[in-house]
Amino acid sequence: MDAKADEEKILRTWTPFLLRTILIAATLILIFGLIYTGIREPAYYVSRYRLVQGGTATRPAEDFIELVNGSLSGDAHSMLTLGLLVLTLVPLGRVAFTLILFIRERDVVYIAATAYVLTALIAGMMLGRIG
Amino acid sequence: MLTIVAALFTLAVGAGFVGALSGLGGGVFIVPALVLLAHIPMNVAVGASLISVVATSAGASVAFVRDGWTNLRVAMILECATVTGALTGAYLAGVFSAPVLEMLFALMMLQSAYFSLRGHGESLVSKSDPLCERLQLGGTTTDEHGRTVGYGVTHLPIGAVLMVVAGVMSGLLGIGAGAVKVTAMDYFMRLPLKVSSATSNFMIGVTAGAGALVFLSRGDVAATVAAPVALGVTAGALTGSRMLPHLPSEALRKLFVVLLILIAIEMGWRAYSGL
Repeated sequence: MDAKADEEKILRTWTPFLLRTILIAATLILIFGLIYTGIREPAYYVSRYRLVQGGTATRPAEDFIELVNGSLSGDAHSMLTLGLLVLTLVPLGRVAFTLILFIRERDVVYIAATAYVLTALIAGMMLGRIG
Repeated sequence: MLTIVAALFTLAVGAGFVGALSGLGGGVFIVPALVLLAHIPMNVAVGASLISVVATSAGASVAFVRDGWTNLRVAMILECATVTGALTGAYLAGVFSAPVLEMLFALMMLQSAYFSLRGHGESLVSKSDPLCERLQLGGTTTDEHGRTVGYGVTHLPIGAVLMVVAGVMSGLLGIGAGAVKVTAMDYFMRLPLKVSSATSNFMIGVTAGAGALVFLSRGDVAATVAAPVALGVTAGALTGSRMLPHLPSEALRKLFVVLLILIAIEMGWRAYSGL
């Protein structure tokens, strides 16, 4: 089997698995977060929603560690935001996996392409903090 | 709280369902639904939409990748262009005022309506041009008789330029911009239509993901809105894509063109009033 066919086979087997796993994890966190908010902090949700509608809901962006710690301590907002962050990690995880595969196969053009995409995704997180 | 979550979820299911049936994706419908019906500010609607687009792309891509419809190499190369555009668009979304974004959204809907009526590309090419050959972008697909046929790929630079445009639209307006991506691949790069659609769907996740990361890190994603919307759009899109083969596609296409034009007029009027 040549290198391209080998790459294709691994990508077609593992990419769907990776996409599905992260998607299910994010969905479960979001569903749990909404149910938890409904039970523990429904008034908080409604007040936040009204602030969002009025365009006055400001909250500083949190990093991943803060969100995990917040979720573990039962903060509903952290739980929901963590679910959304995990969801946005779907493409990041998929591109990182592809990069590892291309490095393994020493496919230089595609290493460069996927490394650029991965760097751009990470840069996106920094760009949001600047702009 | 239950009323708000149920209302957002229902809107999102509807948008995801119509997005899947029309082939335009849930983002095109959820942004106006949130702005016009739920009275959510444009930037918050775009942030919520981008996250739901990531979810629907991931959900739909699973089967396409597994069954071999996605051209993974074309996707990897063109994603360089789409993420560049998406980061630019998402950054600009934080600079432009809401009425400007709403006017651009209205124009994008009219462009989507035009693309929905446009014909498809010419027949396949059997051999790639030298650049695409060097990058090994060609692939195989199945024809109407179930036979495996090879196809070549051409005009990568034109495709890449259109992908930057698609990326800017995605990051700026919270959509997948699948119509532009499919046009670039089907019409200019001469990929088979089904391969173009599957590859576009796969790339949309990374494009919208780049934009969503900018919105999230800027603090522009309201979890109270985005959480039920992401779940609803995904549920609606999965239902819509399952029902699609059993519905009259030509009549639906005409109906969606009318719907797109009506929403574009409403968004355009709202933007004009706010300018």
